Amino acid sequence: MRAALKRFARNRMAVLGACVIGVVALLTALSPLLYPAGAFTLAGPPLQPPGMRYLLGTDALGRDVAAGVVAGARTSLLIGLSAALSAVLFGSLIGALAGYYRGATDIVLMRLTEFFQTIPAFLLAMLLVVILSPSVLSVIIAISAVSWPGIARLVRGEFVALGGREFVLASIGLGASGPRIIFRHLLPNCVSAIIAVGSLLVASAILLESGLAFLGLGDPNVMSWGLLISAGRVTLRSAWWVCTFPGIAILLTVLSINLIGDGLNEALNPRLRER
Amino acid sequence: MSGIPTPHLSRRALLLASAATAIAAPPAAEAQTPRPGGTMVMIVNPEPATLATYAVSAGNIPPITTQIYEGLLTYDWDLKPQPLLAKSWTVSADGKTITFKLQEGVTFHNGAAFTSADVAYSFMEIAKKVNPNGPVILRELEAVETPDAMTAVFKLANPAPYLMMSLSSNNIPIICKSVFEGTVPMQNPSANRPIGTGPFKFAAWERGQFVRLDKNDKYWKPGLPLLNRIIARFIPDAATRSAALETGEAHYAAYSAVNAADIKRMQANPILDSTTRGYGTTAATSVLEFNMRRPHLAKKEVRQAICYAIDRQFIVDNILYGFGKPAVGPLSSVFSTSGWFTADVRRFDVANRLEIANKLLDDAGYPRGANGVRFGLHLEINSFGEQWLRQGEYLKQALAQIGINLTLRSEDTATWLRRCYTDYDFDINEPFYSAGADPVIGVHRHYVSSAIRQGTTFVNNKDYRSPVVDKLMDDATRELDPKKRADLYHAAQKQMVEDSPGAWLAEVQYVTIFNKKLHDHTMGPLGTYEAFSRAWLER
Repeated sequence: MRAALKRFARNRMAVLGACVIGVVALLTALSPLLYPAGAFTLAGPPLQPPGMRYLLGTDALGRDVAAGVVAGARTSLLIGLSAALSAVLFGSLIGALAGYYRGATDIVLMRLTEFFQTIPAFLLAMLLVVILSPSVLSVIIAISAVSWPGIARLVRGEFVALGGREFVLASIGLGASGPRIIFRHLLPNCVSAIIAVGSLLVASAILLESGLAFLGLGDPNVMSWGLLISAGRVTLRSAWWVCTFPGIAILLTVLSINLIGDGLNEALNPRLRER
Repeated sequence: MSGIPTPHLSRRALLLASAATAIAAPPAAEAQTPRPGGTMVMIVNPEPATLATYAVSAGNIPPITTQIYEGLLTYDWDLKPQPLLAKSWTVSADGKTITFKLQEGVTFHNGAAFTSADVAYSFMEIAKKVNPNGPVILRELEAVETPDAMTAVFKLANPAPYLMMSLSSNNIPIICKSVFEGTVPMQNPSANRPIGTGPFKFAAWERGQFVRLDKNDKYWKPGLPLLNRIIARFIPDAATRSAALETGEAHYAAYSAVNAADIKRMQANPILDSTTRGYGTTAATSVLEFNMRRPHLAKKEVRQAICYAIDRQFIVDNILYGFGKPAVGPLSSVFSTSGWFTADVRRFDVANRLEIANKLLDDAGYPRGANGVRFGLHLEINSFGEQWLRQGEYLKQALAQIGINLTLRSEDTATWLRRCYTDYDFDINEPFYSAGADPVIGVHRHYVSSAIRQGTTFVNNKDYRSPVVDKLMDDATRELDPKKRADLYHAAQKQMVEDSPGAWLAEVQYVTIFNKKLHDHTMGPLGTYEAFSRAWLER
């Protein structure tokens, strides 16, 4: 583990990404102290340009854009992490079952996975949110529902590759049960791949969430970057700051998570260690 | 795209003219002389689903169809009836018989002559049966008698003063009987290829692109129309619509087809101008509806407290970008010309409104909890555009000031309508209504108890049952004396504001943006719901 950390630290871009995410997480933690009134409060006159009083300006209703960006960070991280985590758990389970048992189980589960993969992810997510009525939970469900197939295919592939190895055959020979082999022997061997791909899922989940909120399909009671951009879009030509700052926040966060994902992939993937 | 050859100018005349322009700018009067010819491009947004204006009341159809179909009447700036297909009319003393003398020499675009039989058919067979406003406007109409080809006599069961306010080309278009007889109106071939008597004829509808209308050379008003052609363009993207006007590609956009935030910029554009006239029969108001079946909202104190908590001027300034004015009651101030409107009601815009609101809630038995919250309610977000989400976000803040925790719920249009008008599973709804030219047309159905019709959208979903208001509105429907009718409406407004079954937020002011080269387009209170027969283009 320490060796992996060292390898990660050698990747400058990945460290940079980790620093940005660290700052975002810190802002999220400090947001109750920085903006105790919340992001929806009408803080001052509308459409004030960025300045000393309002760091990033105010929007068309007079809400502080900085407060919105900070509160949006919390929403994005919360939804990104929980959606990615549930997608990873569900995808790994499906992939593991298909890859270990093969045969009919494999065929049924993989056809199901392909079915989900063939529907455009964003459209399916929109549909699910509309059906479930927009709320934080329904957005998480929708995003994880469109994100798990990639993980499932990855885990299945790993399982198929590991399935014929001696240590697996030995476990079977010793009479170990299927679940024991899956969870004690096989899954730990593909954790590094799952972590690398899972971290990228966080980035795509944040993008999906912003897209949904932009289209008015986010939880209307929760501030989010997508909501800020969609509210500021109308005034783009007269008040550039309302969409620009949340846009930059999305860009930096998603880029940083991608860099971290690449770093993790290099650090954990034995085949890339020699680079 | 000129259809008229430019007048021949001799060299000397040209020299003289250029000398004159060198000395003085061309006189304004010359620019104001109407010139025939040219193609006007107007923006209609969104594209209509159908052109069957006689059966569908969507607001994006009449800008096109009122060029083609005509009604019996039109209205002057004071909303007084003026002749159109009806040349003159007399109302009997008891108000139950209206005799219309019709315009002679009028033909439909298919060549058929216009007679009283077309009028009778349009009212009795089409408007009364398939027009969504028919049951309200024509409730008292029992028969249309046709003693001769140029006379139509309307027989009413009871006096209906609002009827004379509802006979425009938009309200009740006159269709050609021979085209419709024996067919299902909605499936009639002329539904999307309209045949009327108007100044422009339907030419083509390229779906997703435009509707083309050509000049009716046989129009019954001599010398009109002036334009050769009207193109109604459909541009889904708001920024592109603005750009089309700014580049001069389109000449005219009404009903705020342009984003409110862009209007100020367009007004500064030297080739464009704007007007807020021509919306005299719209009286659009944004409102809140309270579901009085819910225990909190069943209490008058709670409803009034919510009304006090809202800063209407804030909504006008920041959500409507200044294009509107605060509403004071269920009738729009547009009705002050007719005397029906009154501002002498309980006013919620007083200086100490938050104190009053908090006191009302304390007295109603809802003290603030430890976290400052008294109780929570849901607001259903209007799904027709994002300004309503902004309004909801503001309302959440406004109600937090008086300790009501408002949770916003935004759903797709079908779910929203079902929740608010069929399932009644809502606390507060934020719809948007047009009153029309008379309160009977678009106001009564939101407040009278007979309009509590589960499953019908945009009627009384509040469970508001006030015998006083029912009686006042019912009497006002039949009252012929304008003074007495005004008194009835004043009393009804007072009572409704006192009961506050809803909150009246803002009277929306629509803006028409047009190219300065386009003249004489907004000639009356109907604005874009009236034919551009006198409109002309400077070239």
